[in-house]
Amino acid sequence: MSRRTYAAVGGVALIVAAALIAASVIGTRGGEPAQADQLSPNDAPALLQGIPQTGPALGRRDAPVTLVEFADPQCPYCAQWSGQAFPELVRDYVRPGKVRIIFAGLAFIGPDSDEALRFALAAGRQGKLWQVMDLLYANQGAENSGWVSQDVLREIGDAVPGLDVERALRETQSQEVESQLAAAKDLQARLGVRSTPAFAASRAGGQLAPVQVTSLDAGGITPSLDRLLAR
Amino acid sequence: MTDRRLRLAVGILSAAGAAVAGYLTYARYTDTTLVCATGGCETVQRSDYALLAGIPVAVLGLGAYLILLGTALSASELARVVGAVVAVSGTLFAAYLLYAQIVVIDAVCQWCVASDVLIALLAVACSLRLRSG
Repeated sequence: MSRRTYAAVGGVALIVAAALIAASVIGTRGGEPAQADQLSPNDAPALLQGIPQTGPALGRRDAPVTLVEFADPQCPYCAQWSGQAFPELVRDYVRPGKVRIIFAGLAFIGPDSDEALRFALAAGRQGKLWQVMDLLYANQGAENSGWVSQDVLREIGDAVPGLDVERALRETQSQEVESQLAAAKDLQARLGVRSTPAFAASRAGGQLAPVQVTSLDAGGITPSLDRLLAR
Repeated sequence: MTDRRLRLAVGILSAAGAAVAGYLTYARYTDTTLVCATGGCETVQRSDYALLAGIPVAVLGLGAYLILLGTALSASELARVVGAVVAVSGTLFAAYLLYAQIVVIDAVCQWCVASDVLIALLAVACSLRLRSG
């Protein structure tokens, strides 16, 4: 076969590959995200659709800024932050690849927090922690009233598309879940976190520093994120 | 290596690739949890990277492997050229997806890696077929 044929084959293969990669890049970055003001807490599957989730982390691994959220599933202010600030942060910072959010779950409030946290972290093993947290917040009961029952967890799990609920329930006592709980506690102690929600942020790979939020909507935290992104 | 042997190699590799892509396609449409030793298969398969213009990448892969299987059945120049174009472009795209798994998604799907190896070997075999013509 002639050199010309080789060159033609190589050229066409390159064009085809470039077209495939371009389509993938557009598909993963260019999609129109949902409007935050149309999102109720139960729209998490749509809000988070296609965003990489690994364990407690949400967003691209190569995002320039890391934001750690300390939260307790029973904390009403965490639920408020999740409903008001979180959708906008996802739309404007996480989906475009600017920020990666890491969930650091704390069981400050009591036994129901621990049960709920374990289930959320176990769901994280299937890339579903943030969907589960959204539903836990939306279904918060009276503090430590025993509202985090197996039935409630099953109901919440069943509402998360693609989650193997029985597997998540089995894994609530797994070593990985224990390690994540311990890691969050260590980080909380190191940063002196005393209430939830609380936040810490850094440039990727840098030293985490506490971030003070001025309100529970997105505007309470975005100036800090913008400052980090501008560095 | 003779074209006959290369065709045999392309046939075996593309059949294996079709089996892998077929499994991923089956799991996607039946919502079956993937058998996964690397722990990241579901994360990868449910990310935006698993779709290309609304079509599951597994389906595109299955199509590509079936085309390559078809080229193994013919000794014609057209089959060799089509095989080389599909295998080389598939390998470049697979390399991009492997980069996305490691750098962006932070999860690795063992079935995707198996497919990456198969398509890379197919690119070598199909390129050698061009020379043998």
